[in-house]
Amino acid sequence: MDREFIRNFSIIAHIDHGKSTLADRLLEATGALSAREMMEQVLDTMDLERERGITIKAHAVRLNYRADDGNQYQLNLIDTPGHVDFSYEVSRSLQACEGALLVVDASQGVEAQTLANTYLALHHNLEIIPVINKIDLPAAEPERIREQIETVIGLDASGAVLCSAKSGIGVHDILEHIVHLVPPPKGNSEAPLRALIFDSWFDSYRGVIILVRVFDGCLRKGQKIRLWSNGQTFEVETVGYQSPKATPCDELSAGEVGFLSANIKTVSDAKIGDTILDDEFPADEPLPGFEEIKPMVFAGLYPVESHEHGLLRDALEKLRLNDSAFSFEPENSVALGFGFRCGFLGLLHLEIVQERLEREFDIDLITTAPGVRYRITTTSNEVIEVDNPTKFPDPSSIKQVEEPIILATVITREEYLGGILKLLEEKRGEQKKFEYIGGSRVMLTYELPLNEIVLDFYDRLKSASRGYASLDYHLAGYRVSSLVKLDVLVAGEPVDALCIIVHKEFAFERGKELISRLRKLIPRQMFEVALQAAIGNKIVARENISALRKNVIAKCYGGDISRKRKLLEKQKEGKKRMKRVGRVDIPQEAFLAVLKVGNTEEGG
Amino acid sequence: MAGVYIAYPFCAQKCTYCNFASGVFPRAQERRYLEALLAEVRAHAWEWRPETVYLGGGTPGNLAPDDLHAVLKAIPGRPWLEATIEAAPGAISGDQARHWTACGINRVSLGVQSFVEKEIRRTGRKHTAEIVAREIRLLREAAIGSINIDLIAGLSGQIESSWRESLDWIERLEPEHVSVYMLEVDEASRLGKELLAGGARYGAAEAPDDDRVAAFYEIAVERLAGLGLNRYEISNFARPGWESRHNLKYWKLEPYAGFGADAHSFDGRMRTRNAETVDEYLNGARQVGDLPHCDERFFVSLRLMEGIRPDAQEWQRHDAAIRKFLEAGLLEAADGVLRLSNRGVLVSNEVFAEFLTS
Repeated sequence: MDREFIRNFSIIAHIDHGKSTLADRLLEATGALSAREMMEQVLDTMDLERERGITIKAHAVRLNYRADDGNQYQLNLIDTPGHVDFSYEVSRSLQACEGALLVVDASQGVEAQTLANTYLALHHNLEIIPVINKIDLPAAEPERIREQIETVIGLDASGAVLCSAKSGIGVHDILEHIVHLVPPPKGNSEAPLRALIFDSWFDSYRGVIILVRVFDGCLRKGQKIRLWSNGQTFEVETVGYQSPKATPCDELSAGEVGFLSANIKTVSDAKIGDTILDDEFPADEPLPGFEEIKPMVFAGLYPVESHEHGLLRDALEKLRLNDSAFSFEPENSVALGFGFRCGFLGLLHLEIVQERLEREFDIDLITTAPGVRYRITTTSNEVIEVDNPTKFPDPSSIKQVEEPIILATVITREEYLGGILKLLEEKRGEQKKFEYIGGSRVMLTYELPLNEIVLDFYDRLKSASRGYASLDYHLAGYRVSSLVKLDVLVAGEPVDALCIIVHKEFAFERGKELISRLRKLIPRQMFEVALQAAIGNKIVARENISALRKNVIAKCYGGDISRKRKLLEKQKEGKKRMKRVGRVDIPQEAFLAVLKVGNTEEGG
Repeated sequence: MAGVYIAYPFCAQKCTYCNFASGVFPRAQERRYLEALLAEVRAHAWEWRPETVYLGGGTPGNLAPDDLHAVLKAIPGRPWLEATIEAAPGAISGDQARHWTACGINRVSLGVQSFVEKEIRRTGRKHTAEIVAREIRLLREAAIGSINIDLIAGLSGQIESSWRESLDWIERLEPEHVSVYMLEVDEASRLGKELLAGGARYGAAEAPDDDRVAAFYEIAVERLAGLGLNRYEISNFARPGWESRHNLKYWKLEPYAGFGADAHSFDGRMRTRNAETVDEYLNGARQVGDLPHCDERFFVSLRLMEGIRPDAQEWQRHDAAIRKFLEAGLLEAADGVLRLSNRGVLVSNEVFAEFLTS
């Protein structure tokens, strides 16, 4: 297709601001899907995506649109993940576009996530078309939002499209704006091939499917291609595009977006951001911006039933086929037995992997408290990286500890400031900026230790703001910090899976809290159990769980022996699901208690 | 010799602590139930003469005289060694008591639960200690030879002194048999649900905790022993010779036949049960249950204070568990007999669960 008539764009929106609805409308308006098909086929195809209302994987849908000028255009809508955990993927998707729709809810206004992604889009020189959505709602204030877009983002919003994706108002205008404002892709079809990988996934029939944007040259069936980062070569089996059904075609030429399969076995071979070259005539330079993604958040995953260890390993290997962003290696815990230390892009990513393991592979898991990777300089001037609290060296051999720091942006309403500032302070935040951005909204910029975010920050932020706060962050280096390892002893024995790394200043308080939570979560045993928190040899908190006094079925109703048996079996089953550490049975929830420490509001 | 159990799951009201499938149903349904029950009893092929009969509930004491007569008449073996009817205090008349005797009843089990007014009201019941005393007199006058009183430890509002007050009434009324149940907290009762949810309805906020309930139980064991009522099973106390013959069949794995909704039967080989709810029962027949397991003795018979006498195979099979509990002081062994210790009784589920071989 003539590049003149191609437009590549994506949609930037905060969760619930109407991205999916608008995408559905665009598909419908261009005849890609009938209204009936809409019901069954939305862009978010994974169950998890639908349930959580978020996009995890990117999609690229080709829309054929006859514009008012009488020309037929090829519009490629590239739907991007919408969560901070996946900001690298977002940046690659944006790189594949020349324009973006910035969708802002007409009553809610600009949120932190939107802001961050808009800046990313501006960084890639995308033409941004502001769209003010949900204008038909009673609370809509399009003029105020228009002003906000201009003051907060610094974008000219005078031409913003007023739209209601739900009722279809403005959808035609949006399509016309895309045609007239988004520039056609540059590039040269005759030059050696350069195609950007902006997503990939594993299909059990065809192997790895890669989403690409061709910048130069052509991608054809049968072509021998080479991946820039690892030099591996493959033969292209199919090329095509999604409309939204997968539609094979002969070639994808410069400017076009589509998919390819080339009998690639694992997604880790087709890294997001990598450049595809022609093996015979390789281009000299790859496309810019490629990075190896590194996990930021780490947690131990253990099977509840120790004999499921092999099953868990198989499941992790299968998941990794489809998700190269997460890593795992075998790990051994005294308390939990054999498991895996896994690395994730963020907390949402962790939750997704955890849920998929339980759902798709039916494995009961114990997840230890997520943590970060510390950089430790020992007294012998050796620098080591530690992502497992149990491997934290003895305090006497530590010269200094550095922890990863993030730069976080929080946008909220003035009325929730008090609670949020308190939370940020409690989380060891350092204020960098405090700005009013109009309409009683405030934008806070803070430096925070990543470790404080992975504990329970999202939930706390949500409850402190009743949901009216948005958060975005990115890694901003390492900082020296006085951190200590807090050990937990159950009946005198240290339980490695319960230990955490905390700031010295909070160690005493958190130890007390953790112990009091554990006391509520560990059921009474046949003997008294002491719970202790310790830093080195120093006990900082102690509580006792008194011995079980009573567990007896009183009634024997009409000779119902089976009821008794069922009850006893249930109790026995419950015990089997616990982890026995020494003589003490510890339920799964106890291992997650660590997560809630520092959350004084909740209390129970 | 075997026993017969008749289920009559109808009550004048549903008590807040009740976690059974019994309660208040429409009049017409009760009629249909009685017809189905009679049909089931009459259709039974009696290959043996029942030794005991037990009318359980619900509140079979509320059965109309003719209905009771018809049901009992359909059961062979009269006069039975023991024939019990469960009744709720508060509506027992002299005529009724005499009618029971005339029908062959010789034992009455009274669901008193508490003699303390505040506790009784919270269960939803309406009797008083004085009413119980009067009705026991009426039962004695009608020549009911054996009386059981049910008490519940763990009712809301119960404190040590009020619990002792209920035990004082046992001394005054001199029943031959007492059952002490510890409140079962589960989703099936209104009070249980409230307790699990941490609410305050039905006096849930004032329900004694597990430790206090355990203490109440121990107080009862001591006090009742002083009155000559010995604990012969975890929840059951009797003067020597007045143990419930029917209930002993359950614990000694002797046969019994159950009739009515949610009634259970055991022919010495197979366990069967009827449909659980009244609706299901009215629409359906018997269901077949499991074969008895070889480990049943270890959680049924071990409830008896006399303990069990495991055979060589059982000693061997459960060697590890037995040894563990002997060491922990939850079981005692002497002369080949294995029994729960005083401490073991209160945590008997922990012991029993270990013996399940499934």
